[in-house]
Amino acid sequence: MAVIIGNLHLGGLNTLFRFFISSFTPSLNSQVLQSAWNGLQVTFGFAILAWSLSLFLGVLLGLLGSYNLCSFFNISPVIATVIRRTLTVPRAIHEVLWGLLILQICGLSPWIALVAMTIPYTAHMARVFSEQIDNISLKELIAIKLTGSRNLESLITAITPKIIPIIATFGFYRLECAVRGATLLGIFGLGGIGTELQLSLMSLQFNQMWTSLWMLFISLFLLEKAIEWIQQPKFYINNTGVYTITFISSLIFSILISLLLLNYLGINFFEGLHFTPIHPPNFYRFIEAFKSLNWVQLILDTLILTFVASCIAIGLPPLIFMNVHSNIGQGIVSIILILLRLMPAPLVIILLLLSTTPSTSVVALALGLQNLGVLGRILRDNINKQGDQLFNSVLSTGATNSNAWLYGRFIQESISYLSYSIYRTDIILRETIVVGAVGGVGLGWQLQESLSSFAWEEVILISIVFVCITLIGESINEQMQKALLGIKRTNQFSMLKI
Amino acid sequence: MLYRRQNTYKIYQIIIVILGLILTSPFAKICVAKEKLIISAIPDQNPEKLNRLYSTLADELSNNLQIKVIYKPVINYQAAVSAFRTGSLDLVWFGGLTGVQARIQRPGSIVIAQRDIDSKFHSIFIANHKSGIKPISNLNGLKVLKGKRFTFGSESSTSGRLMPQHYLTKAKLKLSDFKGGVAGFSGSHDATIALVKSGSYDSGVLNEQVWEERLAQGRVDLKKVYPIWRTPPYVDYHWLAQPNLDKHLGKGFTRKLTNTFLSYDKSNPRQKIILELFGARSFVKAYAYQYEAIEDIGRKLGKIR
Repeated sequence: MAVIIGNLHLGGLNTLFRFFISSFTPSLNSQVLQSAWNGLQVTFGFAILAWSLSLFLGVLLGLLGSYNLCSFFNISPVIATVIRRTLTVPRAIHEVLWGLLILQICGLSPWIALVAMTIPYTAHMARVFSEQIDNISLKELIAIKLTGSRNLESLITAITPKIIPIIATFGFYRLECAVRGATLLGIFGLGGIGTELQLSLMSLQFNQMWTSLWMLFISLFLLEKAIEWIQQPKFYINNTGVYTITFISSLIFSILISLLLLNYLGINFFEGLHFTPIHPPNFYRFIEAFKSLNWVQLILDTLILTFVASCIAIGLPPLIFMNVHSNIGQGIVSIILILLRLMPAPLVIILLLLSTTPSTSVVALALGLQNLGVLGRILRDNINKQGDQLFNSVLSTGATNSNAWLYGRFIQESISYLSYSIYRTDIILRETIVVGAVGGVGLGWQLQESLSSFAWEEVILISIVFVCITLIGESINEQMQKALLGIKRTNQFSMLKI
Repeated sequence: MLYRRQNTYKIYQIIIVILGLILTSPFAKICVAKEKLIISAIPDQNPEKLNRLYSTLADELSNNLQIKVIYKPVINYQAAVSAFRTGSLDLVWFGGLTGVQARIQRPGSIVIAQRDIDSKFHSIFIANHKSGIKPISNLNGLKVLKGKRFTFGSESSTSGRLMPQHYLTKAKLKLSDFKGGVAGFSGSHDATIALVKSGSYDSGVLNEQVWEERLAQGRVDLKKVYPIWRTPPYVDYHWLAQPNLDKHLGKGFTRKLTNTFLSYDKSNPRQKIILELFGARSFVKAYAYQYEAIEDIGRKLGKIR
């Protein structure tokens, strides 16, 4: 931060000014509007498809990877560990890289784009679900089992009411991520609003950029409101059955609509499957690649980048909410959070660079700000779902608004907020791939460079390092959680064995 | 209760059947698919211009060749090369480097045509007025960039990266000689202008055609950012076609395609629009051997393995 402020300069101010002023004059050229509108529909269509697929697979894999269920079915927890560790691979690798890898083999096909989007999303959801399932108390499950019902039945009866709230909070929020992440479509020549954004960013056509940004802003805003509405606990508490059925039917309905819409927009799902095998690079080239890169520097840069960006993204939201209490203030914060989420990181980097000199801090700030938008939203959503009793009682002791917020609201959410934050760190790590404009920073930049040279041996080695960092981070995190919560879990199941 | 459950089952059965029909409906399309030519381009234009350019070009090509022409906006250099390798794209507007990469991955691909300006293309080095960098007269003058903050355009760009890096190397300048020990990659020619103009980078390099265009549009303030050196000429962009088009689309198709491009003339209103959007007076014949130098340089700099 200090580095950025120290290097501030005024040279880019008029370009920055042009960017902000353009928000009032987005291009209304009919062709721009038409293609942005088409892009928005394509993006939403794919996002819904990828999201529902990954939700389904994520819940499934999440159940398989949960230690709670393993011990319930008397399966060795090794299986859950294996599933969790295996899922690190798809999670550690950026969806753009998945897209490019699968594209290498299968060619340009909408199906492949969908698969590439679904892979990391599924893995991410599976991780969150399995950990959340492990955090719920299984007394009901044990009680139902003791009545003599069959395993599967008691599982469904006991688990569904527990899972639905997790889907309602985390699952829905992933839908928005899917919309924002659908930039991947451009790689497959499918268009989408991300393509429009990227092209206008490349040519710095701010008026055209704002046409897409506004459209995306309005739709994300509406989506957020819709999700907030669906997430109201009164819908699912004591009403899980109806909620689940309604949820599943509307899911199927939106899948159908998306498929029809994409078909109508001329996207033919089975087109273009051209299977072409790749020749894996030989061992000698791996050795060569291993020697040619400065691994220590690359890994160190990446870790620092991830760490600083995570600090910004995780630390700021509680501070902001602690100090903003008025309704107007909260409205403004919520709009700023949406803006932060919808601006692609490369755009933020360019905007920051217009008034400061290039450094790692710029990249960290850009990544941090984008993820701040996400975490801020999760925190606010969770807090909005609380009751007011604790907050009011702390307030009545004469505490200031900020203190009351901290002890009356945040404290209840702090554990779940921190665990979401840890998942977010994974995402920040793999998003370090976007740091190009600053140049030469970390593994992400090297990955771009190796990809553009088609040096597959380097790409594979770098991906392995990404996977290893994620794995190490995950096991440290699990050890820490075990130290805090592990004792509780063993107690639960020793009861069952008796 | 039982009755209700049966009913729900029925509804689900119906939904599954509908879902199945929708999922398989695209297969029906494949069976009646007509012959078509799928084209794409390395993107370096704004969306509005790109849309106009390629919808006009697709219409005109379709009219000339009597075949359906589809434009796919693949927006990533590596993706365009990979999609060409798998045969998903029939005809692509590649840059010098990406075209060579694509030809190596898809042996036998045919270089169709280039613009009149592509046989003698230039990059232009620019500098910020506060950097103290003066215009230079020859290659060795590039040494003044030592210790300055410097940015390229996109990683895979021939004019924004490959050729400039080649000349920098010739002037015995390594990337680690720049301030911070690395060069930036602004991502595009326009971003390079903006970042050098703002002073974030002291100097940068870009495609001369884009520079001239922005000058003509009045989007460059020469007091703040000015050219310091123009590279010697090299070959750049070209149309590259799949080796097997004649087999799929009829004997002599590739030749017909080439001749169509060569015949584009400003006296035809639609072809005039296309040529203007491409920034060219005409398309001329291009040959693979013209790009041998690019391939050599690409290999030396590690962009071609």
